[in-house]
Amino acid sequence: MQGLKASRSKGQWVREWATVVSHDGQGDVYRLVLRAPEVARRAVAGQFVEVRCTAGRSLVVDPLLRRPFSICSIDGDMVSVIYRVVGRGTSLLSSIGVGAEIDVMGPLGHSFPDPSVGAGRLVLVGGGLGIPPMVAAAARAVSVGRPVTAVVGARSVGYLAGLAELRATGVDVVVVTDDGSAGARGMVTGPLASALADGAGEVWACGPEGMLQAVKELCARAGVACFVSVERHMACGFGACIGCTVPRADGPGYLKACQDGPVFAAEEVKLGGA
Amino acid sequence: MAPDLSTELCGIRFKNPVWTASGCFGYGREFAPVMALRDLGAVVVKGTSVEPWVGNPGTRVTETPGGMLNAIGLQNPGVDHFLNVDWPWLQEQGATVIVNIVGKTVDEYVEVARRLEGSGVAGLELNISCPNVKEGGLAFGTSCAGAAGVTAAVRKATSLPLMVKLSPNVTSIVDVAKAVEDAGADAVTVINTLLGMSIDIRRRKPVLGNTFGGLSGPAVKPVALRMVWQVAGAIKIPVVGIGGIMSGEDAVEFLMAGARAVQVGTACFVNPRAPLDVAEGIGAFMAETGVERVADLVGAARPAPLTDPAPAPAAARKPAAAPKKAVGPMADYLRDFLKDSDRF
Repeated sequence: MQGLKASRSKGQWVREWATVVSHDGQGDVYRLVLRAPEVARRAVAGQFVEVRCTAGRSLVVDPLLRRPFSICSIDGDMVSVIYRVVGRGTSLLSSIGVGAEIDVMGPLGHSFPDPSVGAGRLVLVGGGLGIPPMVAAAARAVSVGRPVTAVVGARSVGYLAGLAELRATGVDVVVVTDDGSAGARGMVTGPLASALADGAGEVWACGPEGMLQAVKELCARAGVACFVSVERHMACGFGACIGCTVPRADGPGYLKACQDGPVFAAEEVKLGGA
Repeated sequence: MAPDLSTELCGIRFKNPVWTASGCFGYGREFAPVMALRDLGAVVVKGTSVEPWVGNPGTRVTETPGGMLNAIGLQNPGVDHFLNVDWPWLQEQGATVIVNIVGKTVDEYVEVARRLEGSGVAGLELNISCPNVKEGGLAFGTSCAGAAGVTAAVRKATSLPLMVKLSPNVTSIVDVAKAVEDAGADAVTVINTLLGMSIDIRRRKPVLGNTFGGLSGPAVKPVALRMVWQVAGAIKIPVVGIGGIMSGEDAVEFLMAGARAVQVGTACFVNPRAPLDVAEGIGAFMAETGVERVADLVGAARPAPLTDPAPAPAAARKPAAAPKKAVGPMADYLRDFLKDSDRF
């Protein structure tokens, strides 16, 4: 819309043995901070890391695949991710203690656009576990002096993972929950529509695909540039398996979430369907 | 002396016996930043068709215990794209390249082979075993007649070494192997993925958009190894072993079962350098156990030696050369056993 593009990383991804600096859980949501200098040096907000779920360097064949997590924060030689325990892999991961070594690959994929290029207020929209990547996005936008509002939502107060970190970046934060247990009762589209009516210049969103589709439609109607970060099952995370496809908006065929995304200009992709 | 990892197959000497598996290595580009492709025994590229294929909708991959299911559906940019874009680049990398070819009809397989003729690729691997496409693919691989038919047709269309990748989703893989050998195949790859599925119990529906998918990874290794053992004992052309290889030790098992080379697939998704790590692991095992040549591992766990389809030059052969044909009571037993290989 304004010639904005999702950006490449600052360099090639690397595989690195990261050290767990802290690893704290609240309910089934965990925050994992890794000392991973090579990944951190290259990482840009919106990119992700692929993490093995077991510690140490011996050959582990089960769980076999890495787990992709969006980067929540980049700080010196450290990166953090926030994840929810949803199965065997994340359950094993959650038991890894401080000081352990974890096999990490990253940073992978395209980041959000350069916030110094776009104009006007940047609105960040995060739903559920789509909130953590907005922490790094907010920090990057703030660092270049871009005015930012973050709109975050979840089913209830316990699912607002990354909210404290987001507030710590200093951006304006509007909270909504399905049940009204934090912020106003409602969905992120309400505050987003208000922000668009107030002249927002650009929107970045991450969350459930139904939410992304609604955000995309609102932005299209307002004529505002919109970037979405999508989530997919992945095997490799670096473009080899062609497992994490997203249908292209411009006809048949697919884009890869890992390599062409996970951040796409909203008009590039079909959301919410096969 | 450092062990010699080179291995000969179909008249070609490969730098080492570790190749990348089709569908797990794209056309090599994603891996070039972390390895020199010329260091691989061979790059077997993604299944390639006459026209571009878009692949399957919905979820395409999901993890399973010790492995994964995939239902990619042979998404690929077509053979002309390969020839114009990928092949020149692969040549610049110094890679030895085998092209995995797919088609919906026999004519399409033949056309891909015809377009690759004279290109300089090292060989063709016929994919008659992909479980994820409704037409072609597996349809040819599940009957001896279908497998032999497409093999014979491509054989006529190409002067390149022709390998056929076999499906494990059959009653007797040995019978299919014999059928493609008779139809003119120069080697067989054993095995493609095992057909499987996974259900999302919260959503009450299959995880994969295609319902079924191909199981790969360490979970399939014992099955693949058994099939390599059976096929290697039943045919004269070389067997390339594949299925869940993660380490040098895994690869040595396949070599000892009778494979003359191995392919590393799913491991590449977890460790992009896996094929090189596997090659190094084979070298380390050879050094540790005093084995000088890969050929000395091939079939080493078998009760009787395999027939050697590509005997080393006489000068290089040891004085007490192994008999060329399997003989002796053990071999007779084995032959009888394999005749009825479906009993277990």
